[in-house]
Amino acid sequence: MIAEMREALQPHLSAILGREVEPSEPVLLAGGASKEAWAVDACGERLLVRRAAGGVIHKHTLSLADEFEVLRAAHEAGVKVPRPYGYIADLGGREAFVMERLEGETIGRRIVRRDELAAARRVLPVQMAEELAKIHAVPLSRVPFLRETRVEGMVEELDEVGEPHPAIELGLWWLRENRPPARSAVVVHGDYRVGNLVVGERGLVGVLDWEFAHVDDPARDVAFSLVRAWRFGVPEKRLGGVGDVEPYLARYNELTGFDVRPEELDYWELAGNVAWAIGCLTQAQRHLTGQDRSVELAILGRLGVEVEYEICRLLERVAA
Amino acid sequence: MTERPTAQELAESILEFLGGEILPTITDPRLRFRVLVAMNALGIVYRELEALPAEDDAERRALVRQIRAGHVPPGTLRRVEADVEARLRIASPAFLDTYR
Repeated sequence: MIAEMREALQPHLSAILGREVEPSEPVLLAGGASKEAWAVDACGERLLVRRAAGGVIHKHTLSLADEFEVLRAAHEAGVKVPRPYGYIADLGGREAFVMERLEGETIGRRIVRRDELAAARRVLPVQMAEELAKIHAVPLSRVPFLRETRVEGMVEELDEVGEPHPAIELGLWWLRENRPPARSAVVVHGDYRVGNLVVGERGLVGVLDWEFAHVDDPARDVAFSLVRAWRFGVPEKRLGGVGDVEPYLARYNELTGFDVRPEELDYWELAGNVAWAIGCLTQAQRHLTGQDRSVELAILGRLGVEVEYEICRLLERVAA
Repeated sequence: MTERPTAQELAESILEFLGGEILPTITDPRLRFRVLVAMNALGIVYRELEALPAEDDAERRALVRQIRAGHVPPGTLRRVEADVEARLRIASPAFLDTYR
């Protein structure tokens, strides 16, 4: 598999880098059931090849071609992202793209805990706001293939699963009844949370995983890292387990002029929890339907009840 | 049936994992034997669960339909919470402690 990958990559990397290259032995990195990530070096460049996993089709995520285009648009807009190198339509029968392999921590549980990253955590809230402001300034015309999504899309996904989940249903009901005035839609990352960042000792190094990018209310992205599951076991730090929301929101509003209010974050924090509760069910479906057999996916179908509990707690808070 | 994966489906996924991913990596014959015994035991759990009747989720489905129709009388959240807590005590009992 490794030798084949190296052989398949050689002509593509040569074309992308503009010279004949001899790639290092590609290493398949852990994690990511729907996408493969291969680490490979060529001509002294640290590269990461993101390739579709076999036989997996997701209707709610971008194709790798579109994801690569969004990455390019973000790079052009000055967002800290891995440098995009090139798209490969057929790499051993599947689509892929090549980007820079950034150095730093990407595991959420370590980002919120590691001693060496204590200083990084102090600056992360403001840095996260700065990158998000740049993302939300990407012109819609630059990525015209992105689709606009609204809360209603979640109902559809839940109905596709077909299981009765009263807490999710109640969350959706509250979101319908209490919608804040709509803001102009912008390009959103769609999965903007600490677990999708590369973090080094000086803080944010890059924003990864653009497959959920779409067009939506900017406050949705601002609130997503507040979701309790994305605090990675440090629930008292509401912003992704790393810090407080206030400096983050203040910096974001200062840069965008959007004046997102704290009560909007409450709304979108609940929406983020509802989205992830449904996400747990759809992940388990991948196992149950035989698309992707795995204990990790299977157990998510049961662990989603943790998110449902949080939905209840948040509903209690907004009702008080 | 509700609560997917069911206990039986979970047992099945562990059997697949042990047989497909763990067993092929074990070279120590003693350990290999014990993993096979553990898989046998899990197979018993799997078949015993198969004999159980499916959980009745009619009440939960009725509640979901009512909320979808916009009928949310006072006390609905309490009712939903009781259901969630009961499921949480099975799926992740330690999680409640994180709320203190």
